[in-house]
Formats: sequence, C-alpha cells, structure tokens
Amino acid sequence: MKDLIQKLKKRFDVNDVVYQKDNQTYLTIAKDQAVSFITHLKDVEGFTHLVILTAVDWIEDNEFQLTYMLNNPGKKVDLGVRVLIDREEAEMESIHHLWKTAATYQRELREMFGIDFPGSPRVNEDFILEGWDDIPPYRRDFDTKEYSEQTYYPRPGRKTHDPAEYMKKKLYPEE
Amino acid sequence: MNLKDLFKPFTAWKNLLAEPVPIKKPLERQGAPRYRGFHKNDLEKCIGCGTCEEICQNAAIDMVPVEGEETEEGDSGLRPRIDYGRCCWCALCVDICTTGSLTMSNQFQWIDSDPDVFRFVPGADEKYWDDEELGYKKPDNYELNNLDRIEMEEMEPEKRNHTFLEIVKGFSKEQAIQEADRCVECGICIATCPAHMGIPSYIKAIRKGDVEEGLRIMYETNPLPEVCGRVCTHKCETVCAMQHRGEPISIRWLKRYIADQVSLDKYQEIMGTDNLEKREEKVAIIGAGPAGLSASYYLAMMGYNVKIFEALEKPGGMTRYGIPEYRLPYEELDKDVEYIKSLGVEFQFNTKVGEDITLEEIHKDFDAVFAGTGLHLGRSTKIPGAEHEKCYQAVDLLREFTQGKEIEVAERIVVIGGGNVAMDISRTLARLQNKQYGQVQLVTTSLESEDIMPADEEEIIESREEGITLKPGWGPKEIKVEDGKVKGLKVIKCLSVFDNEGRFNPKFDQSENDFFAGDMVIEAIGQGMDISYMEDVELTERHKVKVDENYQSSKPWLFVGGDIVKGPDAISAIADGHKAAQGIDNYLSSKGEK
Repeated sequence: MKDLIQKLKKRFDVNDVVYQKDNQTYLTIAKDQAVSFITHLKDVEGFTHLVILTAVDWIEDNEFQLTYMLNNPGKKVDLGVRVLIDREEAEMESIHHLWKTAATYQRELREMFGIDFPGSPRVNEDFILEGWDDIPPYRRDFDTKEYSEQTYYPRPGRKTHDPAEYMKKKLYPEE
Repeated sequence: MNLKDLFKPFTAWKNLLAEPVPIKKPLERQGAPRYRGFHKNDLEKCIGCGTCEEICQNAAIDMVPVEGEETEEGDSGLRPRIDYGRCCWCALCVDICTTGSLTMSNQFQWIDSDPDVFRFVPGADEKYWDDEELGYKKPDNYELNNLDRIEMEEMEPEKRNHTFLEIVKGFSKEQAIQEADRCVECGICIATCPAHMGIPSYIKAIRKGDVEEGLRIMYETNPLPEVCGRVCTHKCETVCAMQHRGEPISIRWLKRYIADQVSLDKYQEIMGTDNLEKREEKVAIIGAGPAGLSASYYLAMMGYNVKIFEALEKPGGMTRYGIPEYRLPYEELDKDVEYIKSLGVEFQFNTKVGEDITLEEIHKDFDAVFAGTGLHLGRSTKIPGAEHEKCYQAVDLLREFTQGKEIEVAERIVVIGGGNVAMDISRTLARLQNKQYGQVQLVTTSLESEDIMPADEEEIIESREEGITLKPGWGPKEIKVEDGKVKGLKVIKCLSVFDNEGRFNPKFDQSENDFFAGDMVIEAIGQGMDISYMEDVELTERHKVKVDENYQSSKPWLFVGGDIVKGPDAISAIADGHKAAQGIDNYLSSKGEK
C-alpha cells in the first residue's frame, strides 16, 4: 500500500495518509483533484469497486467530509478517499459516470446532508424522506430530539420525573 | 431497452424447482449475539440519574418510581421506562449509562395486539430475557462519558512543606470547562449537599462560560463560595453519578473556579444587591463563623438590620482559626466576608457574649438572635500526663498561630487524633519544624485504623508527603514524663473503635504496646462547646441545644445553629444559617402581624 501511496503522491496532492489496517488506508485529496484522482484509481490502479460514498458533518470547521470507499478486488485492499468541501456551498462533482450506483449514494447525500451533485440522475427527487420540509436530518444542527417531540405525538399516560426534583420531594420537601 | 433486459426476469425461473429455504419457525430465530433487542436494567446498579432519558433522541424514555426502589442519597429511586413505539434501538442510552446498569438483550420478536405492553420498565417489569447473557452491551473500547478528572495542579511536597502558601492551584478556564463538560447534569448530588446547592446549574454556567450566572446560582444557597470552594467536605462528590465507573466531578474545585474568576467589586452589580430594601427589625448574630455569616447574609438580603458579635478579632470562626492558610488563604475568606459586610452587616469584634455582654442585654436591643458559636474547646484524653504544660490542645495552637502568636514547636512532636483537625495541626507544626529544625519529626496517632480514619483521604496522603509519620490504630495510654519533661506517648493496640451498635466504645489489647518519642504532645480528639452564655435553654438528651426545624430554640427569639447543633462542618453550618434566617423571618413577620 505504501508503494501505491508514494506513486500517487507524485501525480496528486495526497495528504493525511492513515494506514488504518493492513488492507485499509485513508487519505485526503483536494476537491478540484478528487474526480480525476478517483478516475485514475479506477482505471489505472484497479480500484474498480465503489463500496460506499458517505459524509461526515464537521460543523465546527464549517466543512463536510465526503468519503469514497474504493476496493481493489484483485489485491483485496480498500482505499478511503476523503474530500473536504465547504459546508455553506455544499456541492461536489458527480461520479455517476464512473459507477452508476454512485447516483443513488449522491441522491441520498443530497437528501440527508443537503450536498448537491449537479448532473447526477434524479438527485433532487425524494429518496426516503417523502415530504421532508426541515433542514437535512444528518446535518448536526438538526435537533433530532426536538423534531421527534414536535412530530410524534406523545402516547397518552406518559409521565416522567426529574431526578433532582423528585429527590427534593422525597427527601427534603419542607425546604 | 435491449434484449438482455427483456429476458432477465426469466432467469429467476431456474429457481422454480429448487428446494425452498423458508425459516420454518421465524419466531424462534435467534438475534445475533450483539443484537440490539429489548433492554435489560440491573435495578440494583441503576441510580436513576436519567441520563438515558436525556440522551434519547426519540424521547422514548420516562423516569418513573418503581416499587421496591427507595429514594435515598445517591439514588433517586426512579428507573427508566421505555416506550418501544418510539425507541429506534440506537443504544445511545446503553452507551451513556453512568453506572453501566442498562444493557440490551438480543430478543426482538414480540407480538401483541395491546400496544401498551410495549411500554415497560426493564428490570422491574419482568421479561423472559432479563437473565439472558446475549445482547448488546457498551463496548469496552469506546466511551461517551469522560471518566477521568481533569488533574488539579498542586504545589509539590518538597516546595510546600515549609510554607503556608496555598497548595491547590485552581483550574484555568480551559480546565474548568473541560471538567464541567464531564457533568451529566443529573442532580443526584443536590440532595446530599447539606445546603442543597444548585450544583448542576452552576456547572452548566461554567460550561457556557458565564461565571457571573454561576456566582448568582451559588449565592442562592451558599454565601461562602471561596471558603467552600476550598475546604468543603464535598459530600456531593461521594454520590456523583460519574464515580460509579470513573472519578466524580471535581465539584468543589469548580465552585472555587467560579468565585475566583469574579472580583469583589463586581459582586453587588452581578447579584443586584446594590440597593436592598430595608426593614425595621434588628437581628443579632453571635459568632462570625460560617453559620453566623450565612444567617447574616440571608437576613441582610431580606432587609433586616444585622449585627454580628464575635469573640475573636477577625471573622471566619473555625475557617480562619482552625483551618490553616495553605488550605484556605485568609484573603479568600476575607473576600466572602467583605461582600456580606458590603450589604450592611455590622461586625463587633473582641466581644465575647457571656463575658463582655450578656445574651439578655443583646436581646433587649434586638428583635431576634441567632447563635452559632461553634466548637472551640479542645477535648482532653485525660490520660496520665495530659495535664502537663507541654501537652496542648490542637484548636488552641491553631488559633494562637493564626493570631500571630509565638507557638511552641518542639523538635519531636506527637499528635493524638485521626480527624481533619489532627491533620491540620500536624501539617502546620511539620511546616514550622521544617523552618526551625530543617526536618520533620512528627508522629500522628489515632485510635482508628487507616480505613476508618475520619480525616479526608487527601489530608492523609498529603500529610505523608510532607514527612509526617502516621500511626493509626493505637490508643493513648500515658504521656511519659521524666524529671518534669515530656518524653513521649505510650500507646496500646486499639482493636476496634465502635461497638456493634455503632457507638464509640474502643477495645484495646493491653499486651501490644508501643512508644512514640516526643518533647510535646498535642491532643486533637474532638472539640466541645461553650454555651454557658445561654441560660435556661432546653437541651437534647445529647446535651445539645434543642431546636425545631427552623432552628428556633425553646426561647422563641433565640435561634441556634452550626456546629453546636449539627456537623461539625462548614457546609452544614452554612445550611443551618440559611434555614435559621428563614425561620427568623417567619418569626418576625408573624410577630409583626399580631
């Protein structure tokens, strides 16, 4: 794997290499090089399988991290390609021309994180959240608890107690 | 569409005659060993902190009383009830559980037409999977709670053992926020704090970076935060939810952090006390210790005219004259007192009630009186030799040293006692020995073996670090005197301190003895009170002043609190003072109405 990384470093700005396991490595690449880098991995280095495309919301840094998990079936190794994109203008070049399945991942990311992939087939259609009218739910500023409290009506008969208040009532009610 | 697509569906025909692979009894199908199925809860381990409820993103958990689970210190008696109509089986509640009581079974099949059965209290509402081993548990390799304290910096033993500079350095802002971040805000600690301080609320204020808000919250229940932030017995920390699997939150140091951040000149503005509404009535306080200071603060806040009579020359009581400066610098105590003074509380020092003025004389000029005169008389072992002039009382020496008087420091010293006062005098004298002789030769011996020594654990550790020799588990027999000079302390083995009923009743083995050489002996085995100034006041069976829940004595105008009623400790005294102030307010208000 190290040989491959050295080779890649000659052609691309490869950063933050993490040798996670013997057969699993992560690296970070700039947004503008990402698609040509992934194309190179697929066409030249044998990473012919897209395992998953997913994202992480680094809200503190105002960035989304896309992770393209690629697999080389011949060598049985995984390479995670990380791409940091701006969180305010969350947009990334599509890779559906490399793998058709990417369109589904991209549609999911559009829905759950609000990351756009212009040109990706059906990217703006509802995926699983039919009729969703809130901010994308995987964004970390989405308050899941508040949403569930507002959306799902509490079942009748439910009652809770605050531990500190309850202990006051039981142990020192006169104060 | 091409031809291949057209024929593709027919490829399934090849399975037409294949052996079917149905799951014959789907309800017997086992979940994976770590499957996240219905919850299990070890009710004995669970303390009802409600952190599971707090983290649940689906609001699926309610904290409810459960039969057989008592509400007591450290346990709310509540247990989580889960609504499986909402649970999404994410297991965050299991991962965050402070005690590790909540886990999951790998059972997931359950069919019923009554939706209400899917809302139950795991562990209390018995289920067949309660004793099954399999299912999800919090993995060992990751942790949502911060189990370890942010370390408090302290002066090293070799630097501090000859100085009275404060040992504990206090948190930086960053450290305080990190430590505050460990708190799960359950509030289990509040009931255990004698003053019932709003602990989670002021910790939350630290997390938000709002120390002014923190200060306001602390003063609702405790007007001596600089003092308590340093020397409180911090019983709260013994019930902290975090101590079940990790270290308790450093509640005391966080309190100190808040008070340390705000300068005194801003207090009135922050607390909104620059223009208190005044009342007519006058209240006298006897004793400027924690109980009296606390009572005076809350009375002043209610607008009463308050005057404190103090026997000694400065305020603070035992927190000044008992606790050494390396634990509580006088300037920090003065800060707390100065704020109380700024609210109009008057102080009259060097006035001992019963000698310089009588209680009755005070009563003539004031509408009500609060007495919190504390325990300032040392108790003697009364063993042979204890009457020798080189045998001292710890409280006397500590007081005289604070007053700046020259106190005797022998080259070899023996201290009798295993409580915090014994540690205070030992560590004070060890410092003075270091200054005078360049070394420490001090033995501190107690009846109690080390595991039941009443002193705080950190006092014991730090005493040793400062060169003091601890000899727990010995009973003093005789102070050996030769040619009129003290030679040391003869001791016999102490087998047990308390009897089966928990009463003080030490048992000794006369045949096992030892001798600790010393040129002076200090007794630090407890203190007594002097309440001779109170005449005709009803006492309890244990010879303490009898008071009701408002600290009102048998004389309606006389309220009594602090160490002479409870404790001894500063935070209990502060709580007493607060409650007595409310009692006095009730008393005077109802008197005014008549």
